[in-house]
Amino acid sequence: MKQTLRNPWIYLIMVVPTLVLYCLFFIYPMVTSSFYAFTDWNGLSQYKFIGFDNFIAIFRDSDFIHAIGNNMLFIAFAVVVQVPLIIFFAILIANVRRLQRLYKTMVFIPSILSTSVIGILWGFVLHPNIGPVNKLLSLFGVDTIYWLADSAWALPAVLVVNAWQWMGFYIVLVLAAILALPKEMNEAAEIDGASGIQRAWYLTVPLIKPIISVVVMLSIAGAMRVVDIVLVMTQGGPVGATEVMASYLVNEAMGVNPNYGLGTSISLVIFAFALLLTAIYQGTFGRTKE
Amino acid sequence: MTILKRISPHMILLIYVAVVMFPFVFVLFSSLKESNIEIAERPFAFPTSFYFQNYIDAWVKAKINVYFFNSIYLATTSAFTGVLLSAATAYALTRMRFMKVSKVIYQFVLIGMLIPGNVLFIAQYILVMNMGILNTHWALFLPYTAGALPVSVLLIAAFMKSIPGELEEAAIVDGMGAFRLFYKIILPLTLPALVTVFIVNFLGSWNEYLLANFFISKDELKTLPTGMVGFRDAFQTNYALISTGIVYSVTPVLILYAFLQEKIIEGVTAGSVKG
Repeated sequence: MKQTLRNPWIYLIMVVPTLVLYCLFFIYPMVTSSFYAFTDWNGLSQYKFIGFDNFIAIFRDSDFIHAIGNNMLFIAFAVVVQVPLIIFFAILIANVRRLQRLYKTMVFIPSILSTSVIGILWGFVLHPNIGPVNKLLSLFGVDTIYWLADSAWALPAVLVVNAWQWMGFYIVLVLAAILALPKEMNEAAEIDGASGIQRAWYLTVPLIKPIISVVVMLSIAGAMRVVDIVLVMTQGGPVGATEVMASYLVNEAMGVNPNYGLGTSISLVIFAFALLLTAIYQGTFGRTKE
Repeated sequence: MTILKRISPHMILLIYVAVVMFPFVFVLFSSLKESNIEIAERPFAFPTSFYFQNYIDAWVKAKINVYFFNSIYLATTSAFTGVLLSAATAYALTRMRFMKVSKVIYQFVLIGMLIPGNVLFIAQYILVMNMGILNTHWALFLPYTAGALPVSVLLIAAFMKSIPGELEEAAIVDGMGAFRLFYKIILPLTLPALVTVFIVNFLGSWNEYLLANFFISKDELKTLPTGMVGFRDAFQTNYALISTGIVYSVTPVLILYAFLQEKIIEGVTAGSVKG
């Protein structure tokens, strides 16, 4: 019996294809990234090592600093606006009996759709002349707003669309955690005369802290990765108003004059930022007692 | 008072659901309208007459059909291959008796989940270029399949660990080999997890934009997310046609979702939390 499951050839056949593909598309690119990042390779001519020049160039570029700021705004918006709303809606859905499934199913929909299609969809909805948003606002006498072409409005618009796409996903995540809580405590509190708001704030929220922490972590990771929605809706414009680190990477390194050396150094910076923020969060607010 | 208390959560939730659904209803209506004028004049109105010509135009003239089949074909093959490879690996790691090696391999594969996708994107581009498969479907098939492996192995291995050992012992006593054991006993038992992982991978590839945008520039090889952007840029002023394109690219996912919502929600959330 033991022999059957100890056949090394079968083991290799089962494991090697996965490992080959994994090494080729994860480990190898990671290694070459760390290597190209210190060169000036542009894909065509010979390259040479230039030390930390790429990194210095990036951090001297005010556009990149601005892009970092925008990534931070994505995080801030997620933590300050989205997370409270997510908890609020999740608690609401958890407390209704009728239509609970329907709400859950509906709010989840945007998160399974292609970000690029959602960008196109919202580009249309926010269209200055024929988009329904401006049509609606004009009923209240608001002048035409050029949502994606006005540098004051472009970033808020992209932030809201991004939130629109992902909030349902997190609501379902938090909802599952709430529904998994034992019912007795809530009932006991209700008998003791605690109001719905009191129960939510003093009972449910403390109990679901671990999942809230997960949501914040995923939001940070998501905010560092955000790129599709920016590329499709604004391409980082107008005049860099919506540029994030990853769109800066695409625009700088993959444009007409590619610069792979610079591009890989930017991606390493993004990676480092993501790790750093996650570590900071876990070391401070995100610490759970377990 | 009590009625208000019972109704107000529903009111708030229905408003939220309306905000979520509104853009979809809007493009669906717009796709059936004959011209921009009708959209512009009454954006919220039901179409006056159903104008299905947009659907024919978008499908054939605007090549949505090409993008659509490319997407279906790439998402299906890469999700299927990914599930097959990870299932085989998970089987070897959890059921075969090479525990020490298996532990190391398992940890090694999970490192992949720490690396965000777009960090590797330029290095993958160079790799794909050096392999000479830029501008072929291989350039997407391979990274899509590979990209899904860490999470898939994690989820399938977690499921396989819970299968009781007596079953396979009985099968081995009956003279089954390790391969037959895998596809006759273990695979069928793991089916729920395999379906979940397949769906997650399918959606991931179906929706992927960044790699698709840079690894494929030939129009006839494009997938829906990139094809749609090109389509939008080409038909910039024909909003009815663009809406039709959006309807085409969203509908398959929604149909899938209508049948498999529980599976999809479970899979998508499990994949992200454990990642």
